[in-house]
Amino acid sequence: MQSANMLLRKIVRTSVLPFAAQHGMKKDLLPLSRALSLSLCLKQDKSCEPSEKLDLDAWKKVMKSGLQEEVSETVSEPQELSSLAAARETLEMWRLAGRLVPENITEEQLKTFMECPSKSAKKKYLKYLHLKELYKKNDKRKMDEKRERRLEAQDQASKTDETKKNSFICLWSSTMDKAYNWRAAQSMIFGQPLVFDMSYEKDMSVREVTNTVRQLVLSESCNRRSVDPFHIHFCNFKDDSLYHREFVKQYREAWGKLLITVTDQCYTEIFPKEKLIYLTADSPKVMKTFDHDKIYIVGSMVDKSIKTGVSLARAKRLGLETAALPLEKYLLWSTGAKNLTLDQMMHILLTLKDTADWKKALEFVPKRKYCGFVNTPVKELKKTLDLINTLKLGKRREEVGKQFAKNYPKK
Amino acid sequence: VQPPEKPLQAEEWNKLREDFQSPERFEEVMLNSMIRCNSPIDVAKSLLTHLAKRNGDIAYNVLVKYLALCVQQGQVSEIRDVYDVMKGRFKVLESGAYNLLIKGLSSSDQWRMALTLLEEVEKTTIPSRTCYESCIKAASRHQEMKLAFELYHEMLAKDVVPTLDVLQSLFDFSRGMKGAELQKELFGILLYLRENQIYPHKTFMRSIKLWFESIPGGNWRGHLTNIKDSGQCPVCNHQLEDSNLTEEEYSNLSERIIRDVIHGTDTFRKTSPQEFEAFQTFVENRLPFDIVIDGLNVSHIKPRKMQCENLFDAVNCLAKENARLLVLGRKHMLTNSSNWKREIMQEMQNKADFFFAENISEDDAFLLYATLRSGKHCKFVTRDFLRDHKACLSDSLTRHLFRKWQRGHQIAFYPSVKGRSINFLPAFRYDCVVQTTGDTWHIPYKDVFEEKYSYQVPRKWLCIQQK
Repeated sequence: MQSANMLLRKIVRTSVLPFAAQHGMKKDLLPLSRALSLSLCLKQDKSCEPSEKLDLDAWKKVMKSGLQEEVSETVSEPQELSSLAAARETLEMWRLAGRLVPENITEEQLKTFMECPSKSAKKKYLKYLHLKELYKKNDKRKMDEKRERRLEAQDQASKTDETKKNSFICLWSSTMDKAYNWRAAQSMIFGQPLVFDMSYEKDMSVREVTNTVRQLVLSESCNRRSVDPFHIHFCNFKDDSLYHREFVKQYREAWGKLLITVTDQCYTEIFPKEKLIYLTADSPKVMKTFDHDKIYIVGSMVDKSIKTGVSLARAKRLGLETAALPLEKYLLWSTGAKNLTLDQMMHILLTLKDTADWKKALEFVPKRKYCGFVNTPVKELKKTLDLINTLKLGKRREEVGKQFAKNYPKK
Repeated sequence: VQPPEKPLQAEEWNKLREDFQSPERFEEVMLNSMIRCNSPIDVAKSLLTHLAKRNGDIAYNVLVKYLALCVQQGQVSEIRDVYDVMKGRFKVLESGAYNLLIKGLSSSDQWRMALTLLEEVEKTTIPSRTCYESCIKAASRHQEMKLAFELYHEMLAKDVVPTLDVLQSLFDFSRGMKGAELQKELFGILLYLRENQIYPHKTFMRSIKLWFESIPGGNWRGHLTNIKDSGQCPVCNHQLEDSNLTEEEYSNLSERIIRDVIHGTDTFRKTSPQEFEAFQTFVENRLPFDIVIDGLNVSHIKPRKMQCENLFDAVNCLAKENARLLVLGRKHMLTNSSNWKREIMQEMQNKADFFFAENISEDDAFLLYATLRSGKHCKFVTRDFLRDHKACLSDSLTRHLFRKWQRGHQIAFYPSVKGRSINFLPAFRYDCVVQTTGDTWHIPYKDVFEEKYSYQVPRKWLCIQQK
C-alpha cells in the first residue's frame, strides 16, 4: 500500500493535470482554459482587459490539491530525521532554491560538509563539489560523443574495407613509454638530482595536499618526457602520510615502478650541504644562471592562503643557500603571486638545463601574471603599462592626460 | 525583460516565453525583473497561475522569488498563503525562504508568527543576523522589551554579531520607559560597545542621548563635545581613562606577542633563535628605553631626502630631555652607501642605542618586544599600522588589548608640513572607548557613514552626566 501510495505521489508531482481530472478538478481547470482560448479569439484587438476573468489565486488550489494525500503519509514516517538525512534534505532544498549544490553527494562528502566550521566554509565546499560534478558530467558527455563519432568512422571504414600497408607496426604509445623509461633510468644513474621537499604536510589543508600531489604527478611526467631528465628525489617522505596516500590514489600500481628516488631522509643527509640550493620566492637572492653542479630543492607545497616565509624558514634553519627565479628582471610583472606551481617550476628548470635561455624558460610562467618580456628598456614598458592600466581601470586618467599634454604640446 | 503591467492570460505568457531566448529560465528571469520594477502582485499571480496550470507544479525557486515580491510590498496575507503552500509541498524550507518569511511577517501585525518561524529555523541551523534583526525590531516596536532582550542575548550567545541598527532600535523603543531591569540591559549594550571597541555613528549616538534624557526621574543631560588632548572633558571636567593596561593584561599581551607574533609557527620565519636571543640579551642589558624607533620606517618619511638624514632628524628631534632611545634597523644600514653615510650613522650611535637585525629578518617584531619589555611608559615610533602583527594574535580579546595598547603608545608622524623639521603626533593620553563612572558616560562617535579606518579613532564625544 505504502509503495503504491509513493508511486501515486510521484505521478502527482510530475503532472497534476491528469490527477486533477480524476479527482474532480475538472470543473475548475478545464472549462477555464476553454474560456480563455475563447475570450482570446474574441478580443484579439482589444488587448488585455479580461483580468477579471482570470482566477489569480488558482495556483494555490493547484499547489494544495495534492496535499491531503501527503499529510496522512508523513504521519507514518519516522518523525525524527537523523542528522545526516536532515543535512541531505537541506541540501536538496538549497539545490531547488538555485544555489550551487551538487546533485549527488556521497555519505563521506556529506560528513565533510557537516564538519565545516562556518556557513561560508559550507558554501565554498558545496560550490567546489558542484563544479567538480559539472566538469565530470561534461567530460563524460564529450567522451560519449567521441565514442559515437569513432564508431561511425569505424562503420565507414569497414564499408570501404581496405587494409593499409605500413612498414611499422602501430605501437606508438608503448614504444614511446619504453624509450622514456630508458631515459629516466639513465637519469637515475647519471642525471642531475632535483629534490622535492615533502615536509610541508602539516602546513597544508587536505585539498592543498591533493593539489600538490596532482602538480607533482604532472612534473614527473613532463620530466620523464624531456630529452635529458632530472633524477627526481622525494625527500622527507613519510610512509603512510597524506602525500603517500594521495600518490597511491593518483598512480595506482605504477607508484611502485616510478623511476624516481623516494626517501624519508632529508636532503642534507644525502647530499653535501654546499651543493644544495633551496628555491623559494621569498629568497633575497636572485638566481642568475642555472648551475649544472648544484642540487636544487623545490618545496612541495601549495599555499592558497599565501604563507610567506615558510620555505625560507626551512632553508634558514638548515643553513642552506636560497635563490628565487629572476622574474622581476626578465618579466614585467602584472598581477598574481610570484610563487609558481610545481609543474611550471619543473618546465622552467628543464628548459634552463637544456638551453640556459631565460626567455625560453620563463615562457612557462602563466601569461596572465605578466605583461611582457623586458627586452626594451624597462622604463618604456612601465609607461605603456601605466597607460594600459589607466585605460583599463580609469585610474589617474587626469594625471596621464596632463603628462601627455606636457609631452606633446599643442601648437 | 520588461514585466507586463497587467495580469496576462496563459496564451500571452506562452507567447512571451517562446520569444524569450532561454525559455527554461523564463519564469525566473521574469520574476527577478518584477522584483526589480516592483510590479503589481497580480501580474506575478497570473504568471504563477499560468505555471500551475501548465506544469501542475511550481518550482521552489519561483515560489521564493514570488515570496520576495510579496515581502517587498508587505502583502501579509499573501505571505501567509505562500508559507502554507510551501509547508505543504516541502518537508523543510531553506534559509533564504525563512529569511524572507521572517522579514515579511515581522513588519506586520502577525509578527508573533515570525517568532515561531525563528524557532523553527533554530532547530536546524543558526539563524542569520537579519532574522534576529527583524524579530528584535518587531518585538521592541510592540514594546515587548523583555522579549527583545531575550532574543538579543540569544543572538550574542550564538556568536551572531548584532548590527548597529538593532542596538539603535533597542534604544529608540525604550525611550521614556521605566524600569531598573531595562536600564541595566541598555547599559549592558553600552558596555558591549566598550568591550568590542565599537563606535556608534551620529544617529545612533542621538538615540542614546535621547534615551538617557528620557529616563523618568533620571535627570540625565547629554552634550556633544570634543575632548582636549589632555583627556579632560570640557563639559564636565572629568578626566577620561588612560589607555594603560592592567598588570595582568600587560603581561598577558607581552607573552602573546612573543608567542604569536615573534615565534608564530616557526621562529625562522621572522628571525632566527640565535638572533632573537642576541636581541633579548641586548635589550635586557640596556633596559629601560623611553622611545623605540623603527629606523627603516622613519628613514622614508621624506622621499626627497637621504634616508639616513631623515633618521638623523628624527633621532635629534626625539632625543630631548635625556630620553633613552633605541633604534632598530637592519645590517645593510651599516654598509656605506649613497643612502646611508657612515659618518652620520656613527654620530647617531652616540645619541641612541642601535640594534641591527639581519637583512631578511622582520624588525617590527623586535620593536614590539623592546617596547613592551621597557614598561608602560615606553612609546614607539613608526608609521606602520601594525595590522599584520595584530592579525597574528589568535583571539579577539588579545587583539583588542593590542589595539588599546597601540593607541596609547604609538607615536605617529605629523602629516608632512612643508617645514623642514619632523613633527610627531603624540600618543593618545586617554583611551578612546565608551566609558562610565556611574554618574557620567562618555561615548565617542563617528559622523554618519564617515569612512573610518581601523586605526583611526573618532574625535567627537557625547558627554552624559546625571545632575
